[in-house]
Amino acid sequence: MSDVLDCAASGFVPHDLKCDFLVIGSGCGGGTAARVLAEAGKDVILLEEGGDFVGPDKLSQRDTPMYDQLYVDRGGRTNKDRTVNILSGRVLGGGGVINACDVVPIHDATWAYWQKHHGWHDFSATAMQPYVQRALADLSANRILEQQINRNNQILRQGTQALGWRGEVMMHNRVKCQGLGSCLIGCPASAKRNPRMVAIPKALAAGARVLVRARATLIRDATTDRKRVEVQTLDAKGYHPVNRFAIDAKCVIVAANPVGTVALLRNSHLGNDQLGQHVSLQPQVPIVALMADPVNAFEGIPQAYAMTEFERHDPDHGLGGFRVESIFGTPGVLGSLVSQPGAAGKTLMAQLDHAAASLILIPDQPVGQITLRRDGRPEIDYTLTAEWKARARQAVRAAARAYFAAGAKMVVIPAAPPLVLQSEAQLAQVETLTFDAATISLISAHQQGGGRLGTSEATSACDLNGQVWGTRGVFICDGSIFPSSSSSHTMTPIITMAHALADRLASHAS
Amino acid sequence: MNAVSRRRFLVLGGSAAALAAGAAGSLAWLRGSAPDVAGLRVLSSQEYRTMAAIGRTHIPQGGAFGPGADDFDLARLFDGYLADQPEADQRDAALALNLVEFGPVLFEQHAVTFSHLPPDAQLAHWSAWGTAQQQTRREIFWSFSRFLGLTFYDHEAVWPHIAYAGPSFARLATRPAVTP
Repeated sequence: MSDVLDCAASGFVPHDLKCDFLVIGSGCGGGTAARVLAEAGKDVILLEEGGDFVGPDKLSQRDTPMYDQLYVDRGGRTNKDRTVNILSGRVLGGGGVINACDVVPIHDATWAYWQKHHGWHDFSATAMQPYVQRALADLSANRILEQQINRNNQILRQGTQALGWRGEVMMHNRVKCQGLGSCLIGCPASAKRNPRMVAIPKALAAGARVLVRARATLIRDATTDRKRVEVQTLDAKGYHPVNRFAIDAKCVIVAANPVGTVALLRNSHLGNDQLGQHVSLQPQVPIVALMADPVNAFEGIPQAYAMTEFERHDPDHGLGGFRVESIFGTPGVLGSLVSQPGAAGKTLMAQLDHAAASLILIPDQPVGQITLRRDGRPEIDYTLTAEWKARARQAVRAAARAYFAAGAKMVVIPAAPPLVLQSEAQLAQVETLTFDAATISLISAHQQGGGRLGTSEATSACDLNGQVWGTRGVFICDGSIFPSSSSSHTMTPIITMAHALADRLASHAS
Repeated sequence: MNAVSRRRFLVLGGSAAALAAGAAGSLAWLRGSAPDVAGLRVLSSQEYRTMAAIGRTHIPQGGAFGPGADDFDLARLFDGYLADQPEADQRDAALALNLVEFGPVLFEQHAVTFSHLPPDAQLAHWSAWGTAQQQTRREIFWSFSRFLGLTFYDHEAVWPHIAYAGPSFARLATRPAVTP
């Protein structure tokens, strides 16, 4: 088995690289596609712009260096009006390295919605079952055990159950988890069965070549039998270009997260006017509850329990409603959400050991678009809709009620100014949350759309095989392809679709 | 353009230019000079001073616990961060810092810039950026507060004050894992 080739290593410039399939992006989509194609005997090169981070020497559990190295734009990417902090992975293994490990397959109602309204005739829930099973096997999917549920998650469950609402202990992809608590900045104990631990080793074993610190910048000759992809090697931190080289490939699979995928295709002057449209950010609202007794949420599985009472699955509208999921992070990321300047912000942070926290996940309609700035970098134009804002206020009220039912002394929504509720009697104040641009800090961990897969050039960016309209052999294989929000958590949906699309590619190429 | 309108145009243009030059001169005078700061990679000494003032306003020393942004020179950390960002981002950051510096003049008609305000007035002014009518001001508020919160609370000297025991791998990785 070959090793991962680090292009940042001194003087390393690959020459005359050729392959059948060049896969750009090594996350759930690209990593899985590379593995499937390599195991099918194809000659595969997998490119990753980020570095390779495995083990405690590289995954330090420190916020500043880890956000800098594991996240796109060093963790600082936002939408145009800076309301939504857009988090995605820039590391070998992609988002699977820095996610909360939630395994939530696409619901039957969502498959039905896509079939009925978006022409996904090939992808019924029944037809996709084998691929779902392959994804679950890749992830070693298992239900979080009772003894793994920490106090932070128990509090949300206690409140949910006190109100008689539905909830569930979540499925995850951790094996031999030691409850380190730093999942969002990588697991130094390698407990996550993510693409870095599963798909990429299998791709390497099957002969794929894997290059890190290698950024694809341009796809040329996209309508010919051999494409030429220009690549920049990056320095050891991934900040600056060092060298250039090119790769000749029969097929190019772009799987660089919706934003990166659209940017690469647009910079290459590929795609129709649907490319970059219909983007969903699935924004999440943070909520903090201060409890009378210590919670000590820093350790243990951060996200183990979800309130699902208000989640909606509808074959005519797809995923809707909202769900509330416990979460905690490392101190820096929590501090970045504190919106209160001065001593008041420090007073709140000083009570962190008594804090329980959740993210309220509110599926959205795909109303955003990705365009290019003058310098070629992507820009995400995304405005929250009135309907989403109304649902968000309903969701905040529900989450706050659950925390008060669990005994919270105070509930805080980190807006500017923060909304502080002392009791359930003050829930009406939630109506003062406008969710106007830059009045609150929201989080997007599940960007989808922009490269919608469909049957018609008029309504989609690629065909049902994922081939970009107007090209011959340039494909999309990541969260871009979804016509609407696929699930509350995108890891399993993306791996599922990557298996399906890569199978098609392997058989077509044969 | 006839002779009269040409003369009028030149007079108006000249007056506007003089006003602009006067205003710029006044603003520069209000901002004053800042002490030289060695080793900056992107920020000017004046921009550094503004960033430091935002930092100590957002996360002051004292209160619930001792350390504040000044203890860790977060303004220099910001300069180092910017140095590896694209040039457009460096320009945006400089513009944002200048807007904050002149915020009291531009938005509150005070004849003093941000760095020269007393601490209480700095806090009141900076807090107002978070709730300002102008979206740009709110965007700037969130951008700086995210950076300051992330870098300050990632500092090990802060952890004892927020009951964080530090990275857990060394403490917990040797205990038996719970297996499914």
